[in-house]
Amino acid sequence: MSTKHSIAAEKFLKNQKMAAWHDQTLWMVRDKRDKMSRQIPEWERLRDMACSIKMYSNSHLDTLLQEFEKNALANGAHVYWAKDADEYCSIIYNILKSHNVKHFIKSKSMLAEECGLNEYLEEKNIEVTESDLGERILQLMHKRPSHIVMPAIHIKKEEIGDLFRREMGTEPKNNAQTYLTHAARRNLRHKFIEADAAMTGANFAVASTGECIVCTNEGNADMGTSQTKLQITAFGLEKIVPDRASLGVFTRLLARSGTGQPITSYTSHYRKPRKGGELHIIIVDNGRSQILSNPKHLKTLNCLRCGACMNTCPVYRRSGGYAYTYFIPGPIGINLGMLKAPLHYYDNISACSLCYSCQNICPAKVDLADQIYAWRQTLQSLGVANSEKRAISYGMAFLTKRPNLFNKVLKEAHFINSFPRWILYNKLNNWGKEHEMPRFAKESFREMWKKGKIK
Amino acid sequence: MKVGLFIPCYINAVYPEVGIASYKLLKNLGIDVDYPSNQTCCGQPMANAGFENKANDLASHFDEIFNNYEYVVGPSASCVAFIRDHYDQLLNKKEHRCFCEKKTYEICEFIHDIIKPTSLSAVFPHKVSIQNSCHGVRLLHLSSPSELNIPYYNKLHNLLSLVKDIEIVEPERCDECCGFGGMFSIEEHAVSGQMGRDKIQRHIDTGAEYIVGADSSCLMHQTGIIEREKLSIKTIHVIQILASGL
Amino acid sequence: MSSREDILQNIRRNTGVRYEKPDITSLEKEAITYPNKTKQFCKTLEEAGGHAIILEGEKIDDIIKNLYPTAKRIASEIKDLTCNGEKQTITCATFHPDDVASSADLDGTDVAIINGRFGVCENGAVWIQQDVEQRAIYFISEALVILVDKNKLVNNMHEAYTRIDTGKYGYGVFISGPSKTADIEQALVMGAHGAKEVIVILV
Repeated sequence: MSTKHSIAAEKFLKNQKMAAWHDQTLWMVRDKRDKMSRQIPEWERLRDMACSIKMYSNSHLDTLLQEFEKNALANGAHVYWAKDADEYCSIIYNILKSHNVKHFIKSKSMLAEECGLNEYLEEKNIEVTESDLGERILQLMHKRPSHIVMPAIHIKKEEIGDLFRREMGTEPKNNAQTYLTHAARRNLRHKFIEADAAMTGANFAVASTGECIVCTNEGNADMGTSQTKLQITAFGLEKIVPDRASLGVFTRLLARSGTGQPITSYTSHYRKPRKGGELHIIIVDNGRSQILSNPKHLKTLNCLRCGACMNTCPVYRRSGGYAYTYFIPGPIGINLGMLKAPLHYYDNISACSLCYSCQNICPAKVDLADQIYAWRQTLQSLGVANSEKRAISYGMAFLTKRPNLFNKVLKEAHFINSFPRWILYNKLNNWGKEHEMPRFAKESFREMWKKGKIK
Repeated sequence: MKVGLFIPCYINAVYPEVGIASYKLLKNLGIDVDYPSNQTCCGQPMANAGFENKANDLASHFDEIFNNYEYVVGPSASCVAFIRDHYDQLLNKKEHRCFCEKKTYEICEFIHDIIKPTSLSAVFPHKVSIQNSCHGVRLLHLSSPSELNIPYYNKLHNLLSLVKDIEIVEPERCDECCGFGGMFSIEEHAVSGQMGRDKIQRHIDTGAEYIVGADSSCLMHQTGIIEREKLSIKTIHVIQILASGL
Repeated sequence: MSSREDILQNIRRNTGVRYEKPDITSLEKEAITYPNKTKQFCKTLEEAGGHAIILEGEKIDDIIKNLYPTAKRIASEIKDLTCNGEKQTITCATFHPDDVASSADLDGTDVAIINGRFGVCENGAVWIQQDVEQRAIYFISEALVILVDKNKLVNNMHEAYTRIDTGKYGYGVFISGPSKTADIEQALVMGAHGAKEVIVILV
């Protein structure tokens, strides 16, 4: 009984030291988040409000997106609508091509990751530079993020030291974080200045003003967009919020939940193009409008991409982002993957003990665990239910539906206790790989009750 | 007040002593307790594994056999949580509903919220570390979940405080999952085992002699690891402590 | 059909229950406030890696010269201001950010002195409304000195969002402390891309 996730997780845990570090480091972030949330007495009301605003905005996308478009156009921006990943990529490519862009600098965007933008552009000979430090490290290593907020959390500083020595000429064996970070600062400073166009995602898009809000700690989104005259900003259509008052709610929750900071270093509001420049905004669907028809999974559209569900997930912390087959790992990734393509991503459904911590921590109250439970119920009709789990479930159901037979079996069950170890603990017994077996009682509770032994 | 005692299938088969302690404690608190002996399983294991339809008949059976009681009380938080959160939907097509889920209680919750004893005769001169199990905490609200910004409370702690000579502590990461999760522990055995070993270590770090919880399933998982790794801590169901000396 | 129409039609077709817009006002009213706003602002800014100075009769010029004695290129968008009823002139600046031909020429700025509209006590952020053409100055300088009226501190982000404006340039940013990253093994490092130091002078 295994899934791609369980096999990869087992491998991840083989490196005990790294696995323990991963667990402890992400728990430390969760701990910081707890302390931050406790400084705000109205925290739980904020979460309720964030959920209510999202339920409103995601059920009024048609009007809000059009209001946004109208205001953005009035601000002097260009607005595009992309149905899917291909259209999103080609819109960006056409903008870049028509402006003869050779060097393109990006700040972190999970949407770009979702749509495979970098690969698309590089195939067409446009040099793309990731400017978020974590993303830059991964780009140079040709690896993908393992966490949506801390993309390079799985990489050790020694590997980064080695990489920077080759790529940026840093001193050998100097792996100090400050030294390496400032080396990347100098290296990327040139890229910012040389870039012909800059791109950002958006954390929020405000319908009433037509502005896009980007939150970063590094300032990379602003370094890029304040140097180039051509700015492209793209967001998934669920990023829309009605007004600035809503931003008051979300900006209080986002960084506190995600990294345990009261706010990110930079919360930037892009309303107009730079003087003499251009601002191109792309509204992307790529499957999102489909989710609207699915009431059980509607709340995935509330997600702020803060990463708190990953940090709190006991399974994610002990299996790492690469153990998941969808590009977004952890509880939200399990659900988004299933919404994207269930037959491709059902292997992640096993990565949940249904502890419900994610559901309690989510700042926008996405019912993550309830949704995973609901997905489990669909695996059989998708034809991908695990046969051993089915056999156990069906067997248990068969017995427990027949109290007499069930009790007869139980009466004899304690003989199993005396089976030789090689029968009980074999390759097929996954329980036995970690535990000793529980022992059946000589007499069940029911037996004793029947005999009047319980008084 | 007539109470139907719900003894989950695995407690019946593996931990009858937990059932016995439950019966004795309720009886000692002056409650009229009965055990409908044709009960089997609530259906949770199948449903959590993705075979909810296999729980339909069991839910229906449960609903009928416990119909005549004012309360249904069982010593397993996650089974009770399953009944409470899922039976309404599982049985929505059934014609004659008894709505047992509305009167089903986890035993600590029942004693704490309904009976409200101010003293117990129990004595337990040991240091215990509370296993705040996930479904107990986050679905039945037996304690304040660590994720929420709400005032601290812990019903298990309150009840154990009535026991003489006991010392009660909670581990670091007080309500992190121990990794049982039903068939999760088989399908994802490596992660489950790691979660269990980490959890037990945090219990051990408190200096406690016992891990005490309201879910025998979490305790079964941890006991299996304690025995395999030969660790120096024991597990016990909270009701066995509350009923000690009866 | 255009993608725009396609998407909007999909949205309309798939939208089920239309939830009402919630009323935020009661939450805004009950949101956290601080008895001593100045103290709270200084504390949260410090936690965000920045530093606050409450002006008590000193010359801003002197403060900057003391803090950055070796700074060669100092940009300032402010020249004259009134602090505690007394006029001050910033003379330590070597240029105005809009004096440069292109934003790239701002690279190598040691200190930038800029105008903050108000500070936010719950998170140490200062609202910067773009006042100059080259907004790169807010990010590219090694150190950032933000002047904020000490009477213009708001408690929380709800209050903050009632008073922001993005002005004629259509841009504004909350800056809370220096640029930072923890992307290498979660070790916090100041100065990822933007300012390595942020000083807020409450005037």
